[in-house]
Amino acid sequence: MKYRDLIIFAILLAIAIAFPWMGVKRYLIASALIMFCYATVVSQWNLVFGIAGIFSLAQVAIFAFGAYTTAVLGRYMDLTLWYAFPIAGLAGMVFSFFVGLACLRMRGIYVALLTLAISQVMFVLIQTDSACSPLNQRDNPATCVSFTGGAQGLGGFGSFGWRDVLGGRNWILGDYYTMLALLVVALIFTAAVTQSRIGLAFKALRDNEELARSRGVSVFKYQLIVFAASAFLTAMAGGFYAAHFGAVGSNLVAFPLLLFLISMLVVGGIGKAWGPLLGAFLLMAADEVFKEFSDWRNIGLGMIVLVFMIFLPEGVAGAIEAVSKRATRLWTALRRRSSA
Amino acid sequence: MTPESGEPLLACRNVFKYFGALAAVNDFDLDVHTGDVVGIGGPNGAGKTTFLDVISGINAATSGEIRLEGRDISRVRPDLICHRGMARTFQLNAGFDSLSIRENVLIGSAFGLGDRGVPAVTYSRAMRERVDRALELCRLTDRAHATARDVPVLERKLLMLASAVATDPKLLLIDEPVGGLNPHEVDDVMEIVEGLVAEGMTIILIEHVMRFLLQLSRRVVIMHHGEKIYEGDTQGLLSDRRVVEVYLGAGTADRLQHMLAERAAPNG
Repeated sequence: MKYRDLIIFAILLAIAIAFPWMGVKRYLIASALIMFCYATVVSQWNLVFGIAGIFSLAQVAIFAFGAYTTAVLGRYMDLTLWYAFPIAGLAGMVFSFFVGLACLRMRGIYVALLTLAISQVMFVLIQTDSACSPLNQRDNPATCVSFTGGAQGLGGFGSFGWRDVLGGRNWILGDYYTMLALLVVALIFTAAVTQSRIGLAFKALRDNEELARSRGVSVFKYQLIVFAASAFLTAMAGGFYAAHFGAVGSNLVAFPLLLFLISMLVVGGIGKAWGPLLGAFLLMAADEVFKEFSDWRNIGLGMIVLVFMIFLPEGVAGAIEAVSKRATRLWTALRRRSSA
Repeated sequence: MTPESGEPLLACRNVFKYFGALAAVNDFDLDVHTGDVVGIGGPNGAGKTTFLDVISGINAATSGEIRLEGRDISRVRPDLICHRGMARTFQLNAGFDSLSIRENVLIGSAFGLGDRGVPAVTYSRAMRERVDRALELCRLTDRAHATARDVPVLERKLLMLASAVATDPKLLLIDEPVGGLNPHEVDDVMEIVEGLVAEGMTIILIEHVMRFLLQLSRRVVIMHHGEKIYEGDTQGLLSDRRVVEVYLGAGTADRLQHMLAERAAPNG
């Protein structure tokens, strides 16, 4: 089982590394790297929601928090973004830790409501931030840009810097492989946590909280651990996203992105190891279709989530598991019959 | 801590648990010494499970004193009570459904004895040995890889017992281990609990199946409306007028008398 997963992982990684050299359009390379970014966030979300069973919607807010932290550090402190990323990751952990603390006495849907409220508050704070920041006036006193950039967004904080290394045409390859590296780290990290003793505590609390507590598992401790641990790479992904686009905006905490990412989790399979990757791939592909009908995009996503919740609650990964289990059973039965 | 010092392992004094105006546990006292096997019986709604919830920290007492090895635990969280050496099972067949039987037991073993700081990634040898021992005592070794969700009711009950045993408890609380089982399965569970008793485990046992309760317990407590109406040996229980009146009924008391007599005879 684990052996098989390693082989799948190696094959997928080889495909991902070779992908830009297979004569694909630049546009597809850009789409793939965004998919890596989203898959990273969703894999960390899966840790909180799928493995620890906490119905938190804060992951997108943490992603945006990482993106804005990176932007602010790059713009106002002239920090090279490669230094800003880990700082954004740590800041995201602290942010998420406090979100986890706030949710400690809540269960189920109430956690979802509180974390949704937190991201909505962030959205409104950024949208309505219109006071000219003195930090933005030192270069050009005539401009009026607020600290977060408000509704217009914030740019001018640098990039990965691959343009200087790889030149004007190939810089996107740098971004592509950087994002891929982050996703690989995220997948390995998630798998390691899931298999570890900490992961066992998460699963215990998910399956039966009362029994877990009676067996010595502390809700307080493991809820805070999962919130903090899942935030580092999420916030880093936010930083990478900002570095790739060279700009951040309030759309990062807006509802459509949250819906898009939770659709990935649901479609891929909540709590399944391959769920986030499958979901990110399928939803990015579906999104290409929905782009033609832009007004219907959110409705279409909502329908997909609904259909999966009702007919495939274990997602595509769960369906594949079930089918392969049935196939194995059939295979052994057939072999037994033929040998008899 | 030890019988010689005279201090009971568990000491409950004037324990009350109110739900609104209803006293589910009413002025309850109980001492349990190391090596005791105490059976608690009584009609439905007598407060037996509520009493277990109270001492195991699931549902804090309204008032009263509960001491484990002399230390007050009446306001301590259930995970910390488990670390101090009290483990329980639940009346409903609680389990970690998506995990294997082995992983279920591993949770008790890995977290049940204490869990300070950030836990290590892997499991110590002692942890794995406790799992093996608990699986063996509860006769689940062959079923270790089955998923908890898929196993039949007897195994689910044993699984819950095994995960409690894996915490290496000083005091084990067992809540209705044979409810819903057929007579043959009741005998299986009885043998397993007898095995735990033979290991020297201190046990508080709740059960409606009286032959189970009487054969295992060295001391029996009968609750009614949250109060203790009887505490003593099994013989005295069957001739106690109040117990026969509110709980057993004359016929059952007779039948149990015969059962105990038959059981005593071949052993001399």
